[in-house]
Amino acid sequence: MKRKTLAFMLLFAALTWVLAACGGSGKDSGGGNGSGPENSGASSEASSRETSPGGEVTLNLMHLWPEGSNFAQYKIVSSIVEQFQQENENIKISVEVLDNEQYKDKLKVLSASNSLPDIGFTWAAGFMEPYVKGNEFAPLNDLLEGELKGQFVAGTTEGYTFDGTTYALPVELNIVPVFYNKAIFAEYGLEVPKTYEDLKEIIQTLNNNGVNPVALGGKDAWTASFWYMYFADRLGGDNLMDEAVANEDFTAPELREAAVYAQELVDMNAFLKGFVGLSNEEAKAEFMNENAAMYMMGAWEVPNYTTNPDVPQEFKDKIGFFKFPVMEDGRGNVNNWVGGPGVGLFVSENSKHKEEAKKFVSYFVQKWGEISVSEAGVIPATKVDTNAVSLPQMYIDLLNELNNANKVTLYLDVQMKPVASEEHHNLIQALFSKDITPDEFISRQDAVLKEGK
Amino acid sequence: MNKVMSNKAVIALYVLPSVLLILSIVYLPILFTGYYGFFDWNGVSDMQFTGLGNYKKLLRDQQFWNSAWHSLWFALMSTLSLIAYLLVALLLSGKLSGSNLLRKIYLVPMLLSSVAIAQLWLKVYHPSSGILNTILEFIGVQNTPNWLADPDIVLWAIFVPILWQYAGFYILIYYAALKNIPEAVIEAARIDGANPLVIAWRIKVPLISEVIKVTVVLAVVGSLKYFDLIYIMTGGGPNRASEVMASYMYSKAFKSFDFGYGSSIGFSLLLICLVATWLIRMLTASRDKIQYGG
Amino acid sequence: MIKTRLIMAATSVVFVNRTAPRLGSKIGRGILYIILIAAAIVQLLPLVWLLLFSLKNNQEIFNLPPFALPERFRWENYSNVWSHGKIDTYFVNSVMVTALSVLLTVLLASFATFALTRMNWKWRAPVLGLFMVGYMIPIHSALIPLFILFRNIQLIDNPLSLILSYTAFNLPITIMIMLGFYYALPREIEEAAVMDGCSVHQLFFQIILPMTTSVMVTAAIINMIYNWNEFVFVNTFISSDARKTLTVGVQNFVGQYSMDWGAIGATLMISTIPVLLAYFIMSNRIVEGIAAGSVKG
Repeated sequence: MKRKTLAFMLLFAALTWVLAACGGSGKDSGGGNGSGPENSGASSEASSRETSPGGEVTLNLMHLWPEGSNFAQYKIVSSIVEQFQQENENIKISVEVLDNEQYKDKLKVLSASNSLPDIGFTWAAGFMEPYVKGNEFAPLNDLLEGELKGQFVAGTTEGYTFDGTTYALPVELNIVPVFYNKAIFAEYGLEVPKTYEDLKEIIQTLNNNGVNPVALGGKDAWTASFWYMYFADRLGGDNLMDEAVANEDFTAPELREAAVYAQELVDMNAFLKGFVGLSNEEAKAEFMNENAAMYMMGAWEVPNYTTNPDVPQEFKDKIGFFKFPVMEDGRGNVNNWVGGPGVGLFVSENSKHKEEAKKFVSYFVQKWGEISVSEAGVIPATKVDTNAVSLPQMYIDLLNELNNANKVTLYLDVQMKPVASEEHHNLIQALFSKDITPDEFISRQDAVLKEGK
Repeated sequence: MNKVMSNKAVIALYVLPSVLLILSIVYLPILFTGYYGFFDWNGVSDMQFTGLGNYKKLLRDQQFWNSAWHSLWFALMSTLSLIAYLLVALLLSGKLSGSNLLRKIYLVPMLLSSVAIAQLWLKVYHPSSGILNTILEFIGVQNTPNWLADPDIVLWAIFVPILWQYAGFYILIYYAALKNIPEAVIEAARIDGANPLVIAWRIKVPLISEVIKVTVVLAVVGSLKYFDLIYIMTGGGPNRASEVMASYMYSKAFKSFDFGYGSSIGFSLLLICLVATWLIRMLTASRDKIQYGG
Repeated sequence: MIKTRLIMAATSVVFVNRTAPRLGSKIGRGILYIILIAAAIVQLLPLVWLLLFSLKNNQEIFNLPPFALPERFRWENYSNVWSHGKIDTYFVNSVMVTALSVLLTVLLASFATFALTRMNWKWRAPVLGLFMVGYMIPIHSALIPLFILFRNIQLIDNPLSLILSYTAFNLPITIMIMLGFYYALPREIEEAAVMDGCSVHQLFFQIILPMTTSVMVTAAIINMIYNWNEFVFVNTFISSDARKTLTVGVQNFVGQYSMDWGAIGATLMISTIPVLLAYFIMSNRIVEGIAAGSVKG
């Protein structure tokens, strides 16, 4: 008998909870024009067609910095949203947060069902191309030529520009240096390599002494792609890869040669044992635990070597970075970098409140530029006044490198359209696991580029 | 008797809620998916009708057949592992003291989310510091395998965690079925002098044959559409050596933005499942139905 | 009256005492125990591992052997989990969504299985086929149309979308698990009940349901595990933080370029314990087999 009573009480509680949830969503959507299937005010799917009687506008914002893992960014976004709402009393912003992978998936579901949030983040070039072609993103040229004129680092908005129209504004900028452990280098009398031959000698010396030369997690193929890209750049110079992707032609001899060099490093055991099956996280751990001497990764890692309180200072002091060395007879400048803008803000073309959304984007970009380096260790795509903020030396060095950069080549997987990009990951993995020859690598990458998808 | 048991109103009352739910939540969407399969669609721009274009492409797509083969391999291996699960369940269902606790413990891995399971096995398989290779090095093996990076062994390396994770699930089903056999039936056989092996093979197994058939279907279909652990552990790599149909569909639809093609893979996966189930039913139907009463 | 007939039906063969086990089998039994217990330990290790995992930081997780103790237990992982993100809200939501879906699924599946196996009607085979094919549909291929469907009936960001999806997608496997058991129920029971003037509803609720307790609990456990750990639907259909479930808690610690593994471990531990407890409580009910069920009913 008692058990039955308990069961009924549970059921009752559960039903009340469901009704409360439904009731809540009904209340929020009050005052809508009834044209569409909107519900909760907190919902990003509702595409903000609702305008409450008070003239209040609700904008939905989706971002990818969860509170737990990207607390600094999360906090900055929250405070910008907070300030913006205070300054614009009629605008309410509801925020949805998802982690990187889930964010990408949900963005696709939402766009496929015409329910993008008013404001969200996108990656550049190949990733956003379908959205641009499908008229999902609103042009932001008026912002770029208006209040944000001259704010961005030169060239950073190009990746978001199609036929002269810019559809998103970047908030991150990264380049990919080779981080190295100065203590390990000192122990074996090694110096920062100036040429590829130097690098090979370093790898040889480290291997002879039983030290892992390079931490690389090939399961996350984009990290191995960095290595391939540097070979291609140092061999073929500034525009080799950009042109290959733009012309859908991957047959330049330097691109093949780069693949040969990549496999040469694999043969030299430059990378961790079984690295093709390791994730970037696992590889990074080897570097952080001083089991590997070098780690090629985006500048987003810099907080781990400077400000992150969870990492011992002793370790931070040991870490430096160098530029990928030049190659004999190669045309690439040592000041060429792999890198580029990360995520950028877009405004949905179908948003009912485009003006308000743009206003927020402009506000966000400016505020973000002011505080993101000092508070989150994120290098913004807007110009940073290094004199105005106090920064760890490594940031200043990197920002200087950025200023002196001859050319920043955008990550190949971001440049390529989705189908080619996905195949690029597989081909890179196959190349580094020596499953395919450089010739096969080139011909298959070329074929998929030519599909034009 | 027959009149009571064929009361149409009662049947409708009992079956319709489930049928309506599954039609609207499962079948309606999959019909749309089938429809998308006839289009070239990246999920954003306009859909372009291509007729059977995606399916033609699929037939020639080496990587799809490659992934289909891996899925079938998993299905076969999972079916074979049912034998082991059944043996354990038979042992546990006997008069073994403590078997109740053991049975409960066996299911524990299934309670963990795939994220946790994958992390654990990544630690087991780590090429330099993993449990497995540490042991192998300790006993003097020189070139320890790169479990998840070697295309020749990666399928096996993924199969072991799956075998381990699902052990409790099938043991639980078999155990519950075996416990449902009336004690009296087994006692009768025992009186006739049958030894435990004979009782198990000749009486218990035939009596739960319906349950076994169901588990074969569950194992085969479950494996054919299996996805999570593989995706977290290898992402289908290296070089698609552990790609299965569901992960291939996911990467086409969500990573390559090729929803039309992804839908045609999803629909083909459904067809392959149907054929497999039909084969299983054909293969198992010849056996006489043995049940008490019936 | 019904009960006595039932017991007679179920125990239609005379019960006799077992003979004592032979000596030779004792050694075999010992070996058997060792193997079974070893297997049990292997199955329990992940829990121990997860506990240790949740008390380490990133460095220790990757640098130390999985079962090594950390330098000190990092309980701050747990406080970190509690302070970043709404784990208490997620928890309540998880419990509610899981409980309601499990109840609904097991109930609907019992109804359907009963009608499919014990009642006579023309469309039995096709309807059964409908459910079986339903099991074969991979969720990712139904995701986008399902999202559109829920948006059109205004169920996005509503827990009902989860409950309906979980129920619909788990009905097939639940029915399939139940099928074998229903087939194995002795016909005599129904005959006896109907002869006694039972209506179908009485037969179902008072006799069949109690007799199938073990399979209902089995199905409930399996449903519970599936629903508790599900995240694709949650991420897609639910957008506001107040309605998300525990699996989202894990994603909270997956960063753009890095992860907080210790906190992920702590979240996994927090989300595993309740389901573990529920499982151990529920699984006690499985042992009560056919005879016990019929006597109680």
